[in-house]
Amino acid sequence: MRPSAKSAFEFLDQALLCGASRLVPGDMRAEWMREWRAELWHVRQERAPMDQLSWQAEREIALFCIGAFQDAFCLGRQRWKLSMPSLTMQGSAMQCILLLAICLIAAYGIALLSPGVRAERLLSQRPQSSGLMLLLASDDSSSVISPAQYQAWKRQKHSSFDGFAFYRVSEENVGSESGMAGSRQHGKWRVAQASANLLSLLGLPVQFAKLDSNTDCNLPDVILSEVIWKMEFNANPHIAGSIVQIGKRRARVAGVVAEDTWGLPGKAGAWILESDSAIAAGGAGYVVAHLSGGGGEKMWPAISQITEYGPDDSEHNYLGYYIDEWKPGAWGIYWFGILLALISLPAITSVSLGEYSLNPQKTSLPKKLLSWSFLSAKIVLLLPIVYFASLDLAYLCVTHDSHLSLDIQLASSFFIGLFGLRWALLDHRQRCPVCLRHMEHPAQVGLASRTFLAWNGTEMMCVGGHTLLHIPALPTSWFDAQRWLYLDTSWEFLFVGSGVG
Amino acid sequence: MASETKLSHTAAMILQALDAGYVYGFSIMEMTGLPSGTVYPAMRRLERDELILSRWEKQSIADNEQRPPRKYYKLTAVGWKTLQASRRRYPLLERLIPSGVEEAENV
Repeated sequence: MRPSAKSAFEFLDQALLCGASRLVPGDMRAEWMREWRAELWHVRQERAPMDQLSWQAEREIALFCIGAFQDAFCLGRQRWKLSMPSLTMQGSAMQCILLLAICLIAAYGIALLSPGVRAERLLSQRPQSSGLMLLLASDDSSSVISPAQYQAWKRQKHSSFDGFAFYRVSEENVGSESGMAGSRQHGKWRVAQASANLLSLLGLPVQFAKLDSNTDCNLPDVILSEVIWKMEFNANPHIAGSIVQIGKRRARVAGVVAEDTWGLPGKAGAWILESDSAIAAGGAGYVVAHLSGGGGEKMWPAISQITEYGPDDSEHNYLGYYIDEWKPGAWGIYWFGILLALISLPAITSVSLGEYSLNPQKTSLPKKLLSWSFLSAKIVLLLPIVYFASLDLAYLCVTHDSHLSLDIQLASSFFIGLFGLRWALLDHRQRCPVCLRHMEHPAQVGLASRTFLAWNGTEMMCVGGHTLLHIPALPTSWFDAQRWLYLDTSWEFLFVGSGVG
Repeated sequence: MASETKLSHTAAMILQALDAGYVYGFSIMEMTGLPSGTVYPAMRRLERDELILSRWEKQSIADNEQRPPRKYYKLTAVGWKTLQASRRRYPLLERLIPSGVEEAENV
């Protein structure tokens, strides 16, 4: 026999029981320990009698003690369920407000995380540079314009335009200078070689735009797209001033722009801003022009034909597309959707609050105020939920400049607003006017076949014992709307122990 | 009270074991082959639902036998009715745990 080993196992078993007992509610712990210790004594007598030491027996005893954790957890959970205020919270006005608040936080959180919604917000902050046109060559199948033509437009005084910018997109090998924090070896990017005024003409917001006096100011600036900045530079916020090698030339990173705000032909991961001489050395590209005061009147349609004559009287035709075509913002679309929902609401539900009572007892003024406040709070919470949910749906999978996103936002604002308001009214009609608790225990009363002979409909009861609600299955001339029956004290025996009231 | 139709097979086995005379946790474990982590929590739930009730053995009896007193369980009237319904639902229950063991002489 090995008494020390046996004592060690006994100590271990007791320790397991003590550990498990910490999960048991305090007032039950002593009795729980007494039962398990008694059972353990019997288990030990049965499994490991006398002074023999058996590993198998000790293992079985230890497993028995480990089961005490499940038992203790079960008791703790039972007590927790009893102590939860589920009964008093169930169906209460507070529960409803809390659920709406959770929905609002969720919708807002998704909007914060969604790149589409972020781009939409950036664009809404972007100054509206009205009168911008994209010029395309209608004679050329590729629609691009030569740098020479761009330079000519810039030089000559034009009656319709007072500013021009040029860009062309090509694939370039890109590498970073050694030692740059948060960077890695880069591959090929689609780079837009642009005139220096392109981004300012478009009014695109540039983040982290910071000039560094230590860097070589003769280098051209390069603006990174947000995707490239995150993928290639690990979203390094100190990226401005870094030097990158684009093709055969070096460039200085001057900022980051959200890619979704671009919206012009030619998807680019970076924009290198170069002098006109460098632009002239390359191939054809796209020209963005800013309309002068008088030019706006001439170029009224969304697509305008522009004819230019060369020095040899040769005719060149171009098409001008408005870039900043008027589009309603997210806020405007949302309110339009809500307005449509309000107009449509009476078509799908009654807008009354069903406050007809069967007896002359009226609810007090404070109760009425509370009821109206609750309805107002629901609608106040519902409106931002509709706004953020419609933004989430519109911009979750769709790029910003798609008209589809606007259509989705309008449709979702309308439908979520319509059914949300319908829910708010229906929910309010089925809340006890006294305690604002949702009516429970619906019971079908009467027979549908006897509608015109006797009352037929649904009865619901306030679990606090304040009211009964009668809802007719089929509105009749003598019973066309729901009615409340206020219960007097003689009903109280039915609600003893309900915990509410 | 728990609904008769919702009684699990484990709970039905424990009720059957109690009816058969296995009246404390360890004996039920031995009879049913269920682990302690299943038997004791199930008995807590059955007690909560008033299908069984528990009682401590008299200290004097335990002292005479030089052992700690045990906690014994027995079926309530509702528990017995529930067991009858469970026997119809689980026909093999009585074969698994035959009735007739008299182990609760000290209760």
